Amino acid sequence: MADAELATELYRLVALVRAVELRLQQHITEHGFGGFWHPGIGQEAVQVGAATALREDDYLFYAHRGLGYALAKGMALEELLGDLFGRVTGSTGGKGGGTAHFVDPSVGVLGQGGTLGSNFPLGAGAAISSQLLGTDRVTAVFFGDGAAARGTFHEAALQASVWKLPVVWICENNGWALSAPITEQSPTEDIADRAAAYGVPGVVVDGQDALAVHAVAGEAIDRARAGEGPTLIEAKTLRIRGHYEGDRQQYRTDLTDGVEIPRDPIDLLRKVVPAGVADDLDDRARAEVEAAFEAALAAARPDPDIVLQGVWA
Amino acid sequence: MSEETIGYAWAINHALAEEMRRDERVWIMGQDVGRMGGVFGVTRGLLDEFGAARVRDTTINETFIVGGAAGAAMTGTIPVVELQFADFLLIAGDEIFHKLAKWRYVHGGKLTLPVVVRLPTGVLGGAGAEHSASLEAMAMHTPGLKVVLPATPADAKGLLKAAIRDPDPVLFFEHKGLYRRKGPVPTDAEHLVPLGQAAVRRRGDALTIVATGLMVSRSLEAAERLAADGIEAEVIDPRTLVPLDIETIVESVQRTSRALVVHEAVRTAGAGAEIAAQIQERAFFSLDAPVWRLGALDTPLPQDPELEQLCIPSGAQIEAAARELLRI
Repeated sequence: MADAELATELYRLVALVRAVELRLQQHITEHGFGGFWHPGIGQEAVQVGAATALREDDYLFYAHRGLGYALAKGMALEELLGDLFGRVTGSTGGKGGGTAHFVDPSVGVLGQGGTLGSNFPLGAGAAISSQLLGTDRVTAVFFGDGAAARGTFHEAALQASVWKLPVVWICENNGWALSAPITEQSPTEDIADRAAAYGVPGVVVDGQDALAVHAVAGEAIDRARAGEGPTLIEAKTLRIRGHYEGDRQQYRTDLTDGVEIPRDPIDLLRKVVPAGVADDLDDRARAEVEAAFEAALAAARPDPDIVLQGVWA
Repeated sequence: MSEETIGYAWAINHALAEEMRRDERVWIMGQDVGRMGGVFGVTRGLLDEFGAARVRDTTINETFIVGGAAGAAMTGTIPVVELQFADFLLIAGDEIFHKLAKWRYVHGGKLTLPVVVRLPTGVLGGAGAEHSASLEAMAMHTPGLKVVLPATPADAKGLLKAAIRDPDPVLFFEHKGLYRRKGPVPTDAEHLVPLGQAAVRRRGDALTIVATGLMVSRSLEAAERLAADGIEAEVIDPRTLVPLDIETIVESVQRTSRALVVHEAVRTAGAGAEIAAQIQERAFFSLDAPVWRLGALDTPLPQDPELEQLCIPSGAQIEAAARELLRI
């Protein structure tokens, strides 16, 4: 993809994810929500930049903050919102609600661990499938600075490195593991330093810059696809709102108002995307989100029998 | 149908080899399963035949072994993984009880997790409290997991082959104390024992003994001693706890009017409690006595082999319990 074309596509997706985030904020403020929403506003560049560097048939395990990962990987917005609102139009047919377990194997979106950090072994396992089936599919695993503490990272990283599994780990370091600042969670400034212990590259990138994330992720994906093993990418970003929407964040002193986004990914992309094009994409994003919201909210709730379905194959 | 007389461990080995030959998506992973052939020798020879891509020696890493299997299963392969001791399923608890058990359900049926976790279970003689427990009730208490406990070499082979072909996750509790036990095993590569079908090991009309794993042979010994006094016990081996063939058990109890449930796991909240409850719910008016349970004492298992045997039901204790139950 030519540079200008890539920047425009990244802008389209970042603007779309942003429009969803803002519309969800509004919806939750006005109507409440049947679950917990973990906002990803301000972190769109990491999710979009990295997920768009994957091929459609590559695998992705997402983290809990936002839905940019799944949207950028190719899932339909109507399905994602259907999951959030627990409607039959959701990818899980109405098993969602709140922070949903959206899934779409046809575009490689395979889920997220409800227990943080459990994505690591799952992602390594998907990468074993690529080796066994002789495909060149790469698996991307997203996680936060909090989940980076889990022993599952060590266990999966060690084995994935020994076997040169085609995995890329993308850490969204937003500085906060719920109420714990990264300075109290890591002895080193960079989580990427931990890659050295496993003999894999550890790369730090500006997580607000979608183009930079896309480039770094692309290199790591190429490396994995070529059989050279995993890479740990740490994208520095910032949590703008609470752990969940409604979290008053009394523990924080580093924020202004939960609205202003320092080094906003949208502003950075607007430096390379012509203003007219960007304005047009903003309008289209808002219209698309509005239509998808209306459709999701109008869709039916699942039949009660759904609670018994899907336990067994 | 041709048969060969082989040990329980070797029957499991044959099941693995046959299924790996039949379907190249089947592969195995675990600690020391390749070069060494497993700490109990169950996977001997498989590395040579199938190579290091399909027979993977892992680091000491239970979360990876099971979590990796879950990820590999949802992307089109069929992992059969070994934890060296069933007790270690607790180390991979999140991967077993959350991922394997729940991920199909929470994703609206869009993911399929055909994983078999092989779990060497039970007392071996001196393996100690963290290498000897019988934890199958934990799995039975978790919807989404199938639970298999073979008691004979033929069942070990046939149940494992059925488990590998099953689209759901299966916890396969193979008894360490039975690995060397020999018996006739069909050589047919299509010898499958369906999950959810109990075996009546011995016919009788005096009482029904329901037993699993190592307790099947101990119950049969007890039944032979009872038979010397003209008491004919029926012995039923459910073979799988999930799905549970309660019909075969209830039908038997309706004839015998008495039931004794025996397992090696601790008695409190064991699988026997569930089986006893289901018997009384479905056959209450056929019963002439309360349903009794025999299980291990409510203690951790001692390291010392003699003390260890004091904790789990013996053939003599099963016999004594049966005689006492018949006096009620």
